[in-house]
Parts: sequence; C-alpha cells; structure tokens
Amino acid sequence: MLARTPSRSPGPTARSLHRFLLNRAAVLGIGMIVPMVLLILSYPLWWSFRPNDIDLLAMNAGPTAKHWFGTDGVGRDIFARVMDGGRISLLVAIVSTVISAIIGFLVGAVSALAGRWADAVTMRFVDLVMTLPPVIFLLVLASIAGTGIWPTVLVISLLSWPLLARMVRSRLLELRERDFVMAARGMGAGLPHLLFRHGLPNSIDILVVFATLQIANAILLEAGLSFLGLGIAPPAASWGNMLNAARSTAVLEQYPWQWLFPGGALVLAVLAINFIGDGLRDAFDPRAELN
Amino acid sequence: MNRLSRLSSAIALAAMMATTAVPAFTAPAQAATLSGGFDVGPGGFQGNFNPLAATGGFTWLSVYFEPLVTYDEKLQKVTGVLASSYEVSPDQLTYTFKLTDAKWHDGKPFTAKDAKFTMELAKNAKTGSVLAARLSAVASVEAKDDKTLVIKLSGPSASLMDTLTKVMMLPEHALSQIAPDQIAKNSWWSTSPIGTGPFKFTKYVTDQYVELAANTDYRGGKPALERIINRYFANPAAAIAALRAGEIQFTYVDSNDLTAFKNNKDFRIIEGDSFVVNYLGFNHDSPIWKDIKVRQAVMYAINRDAIIQSLYGGAAKPANCAYVADQIVPKGIETYAYNPEKAKQLLKEAGWDQINGNKPITLLTYYTTPLAANVMAAVQAMLAQVGINVTPRAVDTPTYNSIVLNPTPDTAQFQMVYAGLQNGPDPGSINVGLNEKQIPPAGPNVARVRMPQLTAALDAALGETDAAKRDLRYQDVCKVMNSQLPWGPLWVANRYGIASSKLKNFVWTPAPGGGPYQAYPEKWAIAE
Amino acid sequence: MLSYSLRRLLIGVGMLLALSVLIFVLLRLTPGDPIDAYIDPNVPMSPSDLAELRVTLGLDQPLPLQYLAWLQQASMGNLGYSIQRPDQPVLGLVLSRVGPTVLLMGTAIAISIIAGIATGMISAVRRNSVADFSFSVLAVTGISSPPFLSALVGLYLFSVYFHWLPSGGMLTPGREFSVGDLLHHLILPAMLLAIAQTALIMRYMRASMLEVLNQDYVRTARSKGVYEFWVITKHALRNALLPVITLIGSTIGLAIGGAIFIESVFNWPGMGLLMVNAVENRDYPVIMGSTLVIGACVIAVNLLTDLAYAVVDPRIKVG
Repeated sequence: MLARTPSRSPGPTARSLHRFLLNRAAVLGIGMIVPMVLLILSYPLWWSFRPNDIDLLAMNAGPTAKHWFGTDGVGRDIFARVMDGGRISLLVAIVSTVISAIIGFLVGAVSALAGRWADAVTMRFVDLVMTLPPVIFLLVLASIAGTGIWPTVLVISLLSWPLLARMVRSRLLELRERDFVMAARGMGAGLPHLLFRHGLPNSIDILVVFATLQIANAILLEAGLSFLGLGIAPPAASWGNMLNAARSTAVLEQYPWQWLFPGGALVLAVLAINFIGDGLRDAFDPRAELN
Repeated sequence: MNRLSRLSSAIALAAMMATTAVPAFTAPAQAATLSGGFDVGPGGFQGNFNPLAATGGFTWLSVYFEPLVTYDEKLQKVTGVLASSYEVSPDQLTYTFKLTDAKWHDGKPFTAKDAKFTMELAKNAKTGSVLAARLSAVASVEAKDDKTLVIKLSGPSASLMDTLTKVMMLPEHALSQIAPDQIAKNSWWSTSPIGTGPFKFTKYVTDQYVELAANTDYRGGKPALERIINRYFANPAAAIAALRAGEIQFTYVDSNDLTAFKNNKDFRIIEGDSFVVNYLGFNHDSPIWKDIKVRQAVMYAINRDAIIQSLYGGAAKPANCAYVADQIVPKGIETYAYNPEKAKQLLKEAGWDQINGNKPITLLTYYTTPLAANVMAAVQAMLAQVGINVTPRAVDTPTYNSIVLNPTPDTAQFQMVYAGLQNGPDPGSINVGLNEKQIPPAGPNVARVRMPQLTAALDAALGETDAAKRDLRYQDVCKVMNSQLPWGPLWVANRYGIASSKLKNFVWTPAPGGGPYQAYPEKWAIAE
Repeated sequence: MLSYSLRRLLIGVGMLLALSVLIFVLLRLTPGDPIDAYIDPNVPMSPSDLAELRVTLGLDQPLPLQYLAWLQQASMGNLGYSIQRPDQPVLGLVLSRVGPTVLLMGTAIAISIIAGIATGMISAVRRNSVADFSFSVLAVTGISSPPFLSALVGLYLFSVYFHWLPSGGMLTPGREFSVGDLLHHLILPAMLLAIAQTALIMRYMRASMLEVLNQDYVRTARSKGVYEFWVITKHALRNALLPVITLIGSTIGLAIGGAIFIESVFNWPGMGLLMVNAVENRDYPVIMGSTLVIGACVIAVNLLTDLAYAVVDPRIKVG
C-alpha cells in the first residue's frame, strides 16, 4: 500500500478568498477602486495644476486639453480639485470608519462578554443614542464641531458606531454561554483576554463587511454634510462641497463639468466599494458554497 | 380580484389622477395674482410679521403696513406716507406731523392716537422692539388732535427721520388690550394683522407662504392686482428654480446667477446699490495689525479691480473708505491701487517676519454664498503672494455673532473678518462699526477699532445739526478712514432682482433690510 | 405581560428624560444662541438692543435652572413657543409637520415596495437578460448616488427644464386644497426619495426569488404543468417575500435619512426641514420639542413591536 500524504485542503480564509475572486462584481469593484486610489495619491507628480491656484482670467472654462475637467468659479482646475477632494473624502471616510469600528466593537463586545449588568447598562446607552433623531444629532454635532476634516471625522464616527455595536453583541452573545469561555473565566482570564483572544476572531467577518460598507456610507455622509454647509468647507476641496455648486441652476445647466466630474467620481467610488463589500459578505458566508 | 378587474381599476385610477392633474398644468395661479420671493436674500426676514421686531423684510411689510414717512425709491429723500407733511422746530427738538386721511383694513379711521400708541410701543424695549435704543432721544409723543402728532426730543437727533421710516403704524384699537411684554407672542401678527396699506392680510401657511388680498378702499386707489403671495424659499437658488419654472414672477437673485437671465426677454433684471460696504476688518485687539504699514500692505496686495471685474462682473464700486457716494468722498484720497511689490516692501519695513511671519491668520466671515467663497479664495491667494497667510473660515450667523460680539472674545478666532456694514442711505449708519464707544457689548464694533481721531470725526458728523455742513463732516470721516485704515475697505456691490416681463409698474430696489421705500404696490399689475 | 409593559414604559420615560438632558447639553455647547441668530451683521443694530430679549427668554439664567424650567413646563404638556416665530407654540408646530413627513415617506416607501418587488421579480425570472442587467446597474447606481444630487438633477429636469412638475412646496400657494394638486407636488420628491430604497429592495427580492425558484416545490409545480405565470406569482412570490418584508423595516431608516435632503431641496414642510431651520436659528424650544416628540414616537414603536412579537410568537418569553 502506498502511503500518501493527504493533500491539504484549503483553510477557511483561502476558501473565502477564492469565493471573492469568483464574484465578478467584486473584482470589477477592485478594478475600479485601485486605479482611482493610485491616481488620487499620485497626481501631484504628473499634474501641473494645484487645487487651490486661482486664475481669475480662466474662470468657468469648459474642459480643454490644458484643463482636462475645466475650471470653476475662481479659475481653479477641476481635475486637481477632484483628485484632492478624493484624498480628503477618502481620508475622512476611512478614518471615521476605523474609529467607529473600534468604538462599535468595544462597546458590543464588552456588552456581550462582561456580565449581565454591564450588558444592560450599555445596551440602554446604545438605545438612547439610537433614539436620538439622527437629523438633530448630525446638525447639532456638526454645529458644535465646526467645519473641517477632523470635526467631520468626529461627527461621522459618532453617528455610525451603534449599529455595529448591536451586531457584534448579538454575534458574541452566544459565545458567552459556551464552555470554553466559561473555562477561560474559571482560569482567571480577564476581560481584555476575552475581548481580543475570543471576541475579535469571532467577529472579524462582521467587522470587515461593516468597515467596507461603512466607508461607502461615510463618503455619502460627508457629501451630505458638506451640502448642508457643514462638513468640509471651501476653499478646501471635497467631493461633497464641490457638488454644492449644483444648487444654482446657472451652474447646473451652464457649467455642468463643475459638478458632473466630482459627482461621477463619488458615485464610482461608492459603487466600487459597495461591490467589494457585497463580495466580502458573500465570501464570508459559508452557505454561499452550497448554491 | 381577478386580473381583469385589477387592470380596469388601475386604468380608472390613472385616468382620475390625470384629470385632477391637468388643471394643475395650466397657469400656476388665477389672473391678477403676483407671486414672488419677497423675503429671499439678505434684505428679507422670513416668518417675521411683527414690524417692531423686524431687522429686515420691510419690502414685504410695506405692502400691508405703512409708516409715517418712508424713503423714495432711490433711497435718497424721506417722503411722507401716513404723514402728509412735517415741520421741524428751529431748535430741532420738536417735530410736528400732519397726518393724512387713512382707514385701517377693518374700516376704522387712522388717527394720531394710533400713531402715539405705536411710538410708545416702539420706544418700549419690553415689547421686543429693536428700535427702542434709537428712539431713546424721544422725550414725549403727543396727539394734539386727530390729525396732528407732536414728537419732542431731549436732544437733536439727525437720525430720527431714518428711524421713523421703520416704525410701521399699528392700530391702537386692536392692540391696546394686550400687555406690552405679551405683544410679540400674540398670534394676531400672523393671523389677522390690520394695517393701512393697499393690501390686506388673508392668510399665512406656516413656513410656506403669505397671502394678501387687495384693499379695495385704499386711499391711493383700488389696486390693480387682486392678490399678492409671498413665497418662502430656503435659499435664492430654490427661488430661481421656481422663477424659471414660472411659479413666481419676481425674486432676489445672487449676482453670479444672472447669466441665465441676461439675454432672456421673458425676464427683466433690476439692479440697485446694496448700500453695504464690504471690508476686511482688522481685529485691533490682536498685536499683528498695530503697524499701519501692515494694514496698508494688505490694501496694496489685493487686486480689487480684478475681483470686481471677474467675480462681480463689474457690478461693484471700489471703496477707499466706507463710502462711495460722490458727495461724501473727498478728492485726493489714496486709492490703494494694486501694487504687490509695494506691499512686500511695506511688510519688510514693518518687520512682518518678526510680527507674524507665515503663521496662519483666521479670516472669519458669515457670508456663505458661493460668491463669497470665491472672493475669500481670491483674497487668500493674493495675500499669500505677499507673504500673509490667511485661512478663510465661513461660519453661520449665530456662530459668528457669538464669537465677535462676545465681551471677552477669543482674539485668535477672528484676527481678521470679512464682513459688510450698511453705509447708507444715512451715512451715520457706519458709526456703530467704527466708534470706540460701540465696542461690544455696547455696540457692534466687532473690529474693536479704537482710534480717537476717527471717533471724534464720527461724533462730530452725527451731532452736526446744520444739514449743509453734514456732507463735509462725513468727508472728514472718509479722510480719516482712508489714511488710518481701521478697516481694509473693499467695495460696495450691486444687488439684483429678477422680475418677469409681464410685471408692469413693479418697483423694487435691493435696499438693506428691505428698505422701506415707496414702492406703490397698488400700481403693480400683470399684463397677460 | 402587564408588568413587562409597565417596566418598559418606565424605562421609556427615563430614556426620554435622558434624551432631553443630552440634547439640552449639546445645544448649549453649540456656539451662538437664539439672539445671535437674530442679529444680522450687515444691519447696524447693537447687541444692547437685544440684551433685554435675552433676559425675557431666560437665557441669562444658569443652565440647570433653564433646563428645570423647561422640564417643568414640558411635563405639563407645554413645550413653549418658538423663538424665531414667537407666536407659534412648539407642540402645534411640530405636530403640523408630522403629517407631511409621513405622507412623503409613506409614499416613497409604497413606491419603493411596488417598484422594488416588481423589478426584483422580473430580474430573477429573466436572469442575466438585458432587463436584469440594466435593472442591476440602475439599482447599484441608485444606492451609490448622494440623495441630494439626484434631487437637484431631478428638480432641474422635471421642473425647470420640462415644466412638468412644481419646483417645491406641498401645495400651490393661493389655491384651494385639492388632492390632485397635492399629488402633483408629491410625485417628484417621493420618487427621488424612493430611489435608494427601491434599489435595495430590488436586490434582495432578486436574490430571494432566485433562491426560491431553485426549490423542489417549484420544480414540482412546473412538472405538474402549472402555467409559468402562476408558478411565479402564486407559489414562488409569497415565499420570496418573507425576507424582503423584514428588510422593509430597515429601509425606513434610509427614508428618514434621505428625507432631510429631499425636504431641503424641495422645501417640503416636514420634520426634517423644521429641524434644519431650527438648528440654523438656534431655536432651542423647537429643537427640544421635536426631539422629545420623535423620541417618544420611536420608543413607543419599539415597545409596540416587541409586544407584538411576544404576542405572535409564544416562544418568546418576556420579562
């Protein structure tokens, strides 16, 4: 009898990756977002205009060979502003997502693993935050924080963590009753050990999916804030405050390049990230393989 | 339900909707109704119906309320409305008004008793009147007889007539029963106000629109229009959309939205002086502006002509002090023509690198229009060229006021402001922004200007009792402002309104606060 | 059951209290108070003119006293008067806005349910066809576009350019109320608000329908010779709808979020616009009042849903 070493079957991560790559939309999403990010990060190296260089002689000019995307109301190059706006919008989205993911995970995991009393209090607090009408919360927070990158990051993170906390808590709640957790506690494991050694690996898939979709949400939220006059204020460029130009019917119909390009960039980015997030969600779902 | 009956009910529903929708497709309102955005823009005050508490919105209030006197359309002369004539005693302490025959909307006659009642309400700060402080010089108000009103002052006041244009006459028989401190809260203002104007109040749909109907008994003649509707809009852009959709016939418009209307024969562009001087306010509490050379450098560094040509389309006059009116601007003042080299030279002489160098300076403003954002960007770029690093920061009005009017302010938050202040029709209006006695909390001198020479010139001009010498006094003020630069004055822009070509005899001027001014609403008409 | 409900009610009241304290603190942290909102910086008025108003409004009192004064009035049902419009009581103002918001959101949800289910069904049945592909693209674009952008473009196209629909407001000013007029004003904002929800429902419907169509009982029905139309509508649809129905609940959250932009662009007199205006003008009583009303509604709805679940499903133990 020949002894054959059994071929190693792929582990869960490898299987998930494989499922992800089979998802055409997700791969398309990656194909859209990666060149976009590269463009946005590298543009100062090969593009001659800066986003804040005004040129009162070339105001409201349409797209030409010199200004690929045209110019805005003070003669600033729209291509440079779309690139720079992309940096700011993506920065705000990513940082606020990381913050809200951290807060959401900690609150949800502590609530699930620390004991019933902590659970009750924390969940009441989360309920309270969720009962606050988001409109008022948003407007008041943004009025307090003011405009700018870090205030906007703060506002968006504070708005998004409760949902994640709920999801993490319900995932980890069943863990609480499991033998190995009780054993760990019996051995004197403290809360941090429980959180990071047991809680985190078991909720990583929720976190990843939430983070990806939340980045897309945050981009839209930042755009909305800037539209209302909060968020990122001019002269800094962000996709949201460039879209604010479309409020005026004169700009909307006579200078469409001033809002079509930032709008298109925003939609493409959110689209791509949504595709990726959906792909991740399907990839992590073990039932998907049954179909 | 089987398929057939489901289908037929769907068709029936669609047909019903179509028939009810069709009348809505025809003309937006019946004939002889004027709809407009009267409270759109900086002169409006949406949702305020109490003339005593009004800081704006006088254009609309003048359609159904009337004051004793008002300005003419050009905002130059004061003419009588409910007062047919007035006399001033030689010592300037007694004003006697002869009142016309007028009737309130409920038919009762307008008498001096109403005028006296209104003046007393206006003087009483407890009613929420914002004119109380300006009427502090009024010592007594007497109704000599039904048609004569006598106002006695404790000291001569050059601005009394200007203040009186804003006091809309109110009916004593309707309001005297209400306690003064309850008047502002009363629902009378927005449900059934009574005035003497050519139109009377019909209804107010909260936050949406106000409707007035013609006062057929108006003493100036029956109005040509049957109804006037004032629609509220969140911003000028929404009003313009409604104008272009044909739903309203008139609105205020931002100057950079004019392009859509320039060659359009369906619309008429109305242009007028804004009477607001835009300036860069140096916060004199901050040590960086101490040296006059620095302030002069700022003036030389900004290419005002370029900004006016490109961003304002040429529709603004550069200001070298707070005024641009020919009779108040003396000859021979410094014009601060664009000269960045000179600016750099002045900064070097002043030692700018030691004073501030490249540290960012917050340029605070409350203007949030796209035009203002563009202006700030241009100013930032021009100042950066000579080595002054400003960071524009646009905030909303309450935030701005809470920062700059704070008696113990945080200077770092507003080392420079981009603001505007009314400079006419009464040139004394700028006193509150430049006089040392008007530093918050006493007044709105947000730049904390403390210049004894300027304060003396302003006090002299305000106290000048001889009308012939007044222009000279204001010329002095202009000279001091120009040489000492308490502010960096920029320009006085024009403001615009758009009216449908179908509107006839329509008078409108972009007055600060909406005026008031004599607009003759009874003559407005719509041609078919 | 009764004790559970009572307990939840008490907790609800406690949450309302905590909510009001939270909002009060946040409001006072916001720079600028109602008087600052009143002063127009261009018009020469001095702050001393309005200092008197501050005293009348009680804004010079220490903060805890101001809160307690408000609380005392609120517990008796008096939410005070709006500062910006001193003759409007807050409660009346807030309640008058609930109707238009519910109308707008309700119509949007109805549109999205009908359109989403229909397009989802068609996409699943004609899988990978042109219709399927175009619906999918439209759906994802719908979720990815900022709601205010679609609102502005839609407003421009349908109102300014084509003159088909009104540019804003709920009714034509100066006209008698008519249902047709209301619908005429409602269509555009409701449709624009429904875009994101339709897209979401469509995608879930499609996925759910696809899963159901692969089931054995569907194959059995087909092999028995049932008309394809009945297979789809009578057998598959009902089962496919179940997960979608749970989704509809969460799309309400989307509607509330998008509604504020739609209301702002179309000047629709709903709660969103009221709150935006109130925050802009620092109208404290209106903000406190509307937070309370909305918070109370949310808590009430949560309680009712939990109770309904408990009644319907005997496995769920309450208490």
